[in-house]
Amino acid sequence: MQKEHKIIMSVYEAKDDLQKADELIRDYIPFIRSEASKCISRFCTEQDDEFSIAMIAFHEAILGYEHNRGAFLPYAAMLIRNRIIDFQRKEVRHQSNISLNEEIGDSDQTLMDKIADERDYIQESANLEATKQEIEELSAVMAEFGVSFSDVADNSPKQQRTIEACTSAIRYAIENKHLLNKMLKTKKLPLAKLVAGSKVERKTLERHRKYILVMLLIHSNGYEIIRGHLRHALNTKGGMSV
Amino acid sequence: MKKYIVMECHLSYAVVLDEDGRFLKVANRHYEVGQTVTDVIEMQIPQSIPKKKKTKRWAYSLAAVAATLVMMITIVFQLGQMTYASIYMSINPAVRIDVNRNDVVVGLNGVNSDGNDLIEGYNYKKKDLELVVDELLDMAIEKGYLYEGCKITLVLDAENNEWIVTRSDALSKQLDDYLSEKITVIIEITDKKSNDQIIIPINPNDSDYDDSDYGDSDYGDSDYDDSDYGDSDYQSSDYDDSDYQSSDYDDSDYQSSDYDDSDYQPSDYDDSDYASDSGITDYGF
Repeated sequence: MQKEHKIIMSVYEAKDDLQKADELIRDYIPFIRSEASKCISRFCTEQDDEFSIAMIAFHEAILGYEHNRGAFLPYAAMLIRNRIIDFQRKEVRHQSNISLNEEIGDSDQTLMDKIADERDYIQESANLEATKQEIEELSAVMAEFGVSFSDVADNSPKQQRTIEACTSAIRYAIENKHLLNKMLKTKKLPLAKLVAGSKVERKTLERHRKYILVMLLIHSNGYEIIRGHLRHALNTKGGMSV
Repeated sequence: MKKYIVMECHLSYAVVLDEDGRFLKVANRHYEVGQTVTDVIEMQIPQSIPKKKKTKRWAYSLAAVAATLVMMITIVFQLGQMTYASIYMSINPAVRIDVNRNDVVVGLNGVNSDGNDLIEGYNYKKKDLELVVDELLDMAIEKGYLYEGCKITLVLDAENNEWIVTRSDALSKQLDDYLSEKITVIIEITDKKSNDQIIIPINPNDSDYDDSDYGDSDYGDSDYDDSDYGDSDYQSSDYDDSDYQSSDYDDSDYQSSDYDDSDYQPSDYDDSDYASDSGITDYGF
């Protein structure tokens, strides 16, 4: 009873504090792994997809836990089980696909080897390195604004309509470069001017403030790779508006 | 297939950016920052249990209690308003007084036009039976319906016989007491049921007599009068003629063996089912 109480305390603390959530999860890795093992009825290594899913399920349990849901650990176990079962069902759908490890012909060569051989390792690792560098740069700038990617993820609009509303605000800012420069100088999002310029409801923009901030940062300068990844989306939007 | 760039990695999740500019938290399947991935498992934070549910459940029981209360109140009220017994009072104006279980008047109707005239504008609500009867008599005297030597007939109608017995005593006594100070009248109190029962034997010409009481038994008119089989007929005409007479009867055996063992058995004859089929067929032999 006492122990259960302690867990609940730390769960509630971990809800808002990422650091504490990480600690809590780290403490319960054995529990998470054992639950995952139960579900797949074999030992679960950290390399298994099921383990990753169990980890995120445990995190979901921390965020979604409420007092009236009963004891925390059984609740977390239930979520882990559900997520793994969901995942396995999804996998069954892809079962008709051949495995990458399947052998081709008489040789010992597997399909994976063959595909892997065709890829350009050097180019790929260079790309990865470049992308990583860009992201780190962006992350450093975001830190100046006191924003992390996790915050943005929590703030990110999900609905298509909201995304469009935010995009129109972002586009307005991009078209008016001085707004971007001012933002970089003052480290503040010029929300009032965005509202006036884009005619989007202030409430919508306020709710997704961090998201808009990051998108503007990405479009301020550099970040070619990230922008290239996004280009598709923004271009169609731009085309539609013109 | 959708592409995602991994932006940030944590122990339990990774933040990825999709091509529409959405940042998502997904399961960290050994991702690396900068990696482009395709198949992600998005984090789904369970919906919090709506607290409305609790109040709703509360409201349900409240509604149930309220409904029960309303029902109970309605039933009690209905019982109070329900006619338990009726009193038909006829002087010349005839009125019907309905009372509930507690002898409180719940309805007052004129049976004829004079009755309607008598009770016009009279408020009987929540008054006791005795008070209403007294006031009605006063009004009848006032309006000239009731005068010296008049006859008042009270007919009591109720399911409960005990009620009739006690009320007829009480009412006659009360009317006596009340009216003796003013005028002299004849008071007759009867109840509906006993009326029925008493009238029947006294008036033999009443249709009821022939129809039901008599017709019930097999001695009904037609059967009884049937010539073939009647008592008298047996001894006279039928007995003498017909098949029966032919062989056995004329014989000397009639009184002894043949009469008894033939189909014309004495038992059949005495039976109340005299008119029934068997008797007739038997006779036919």
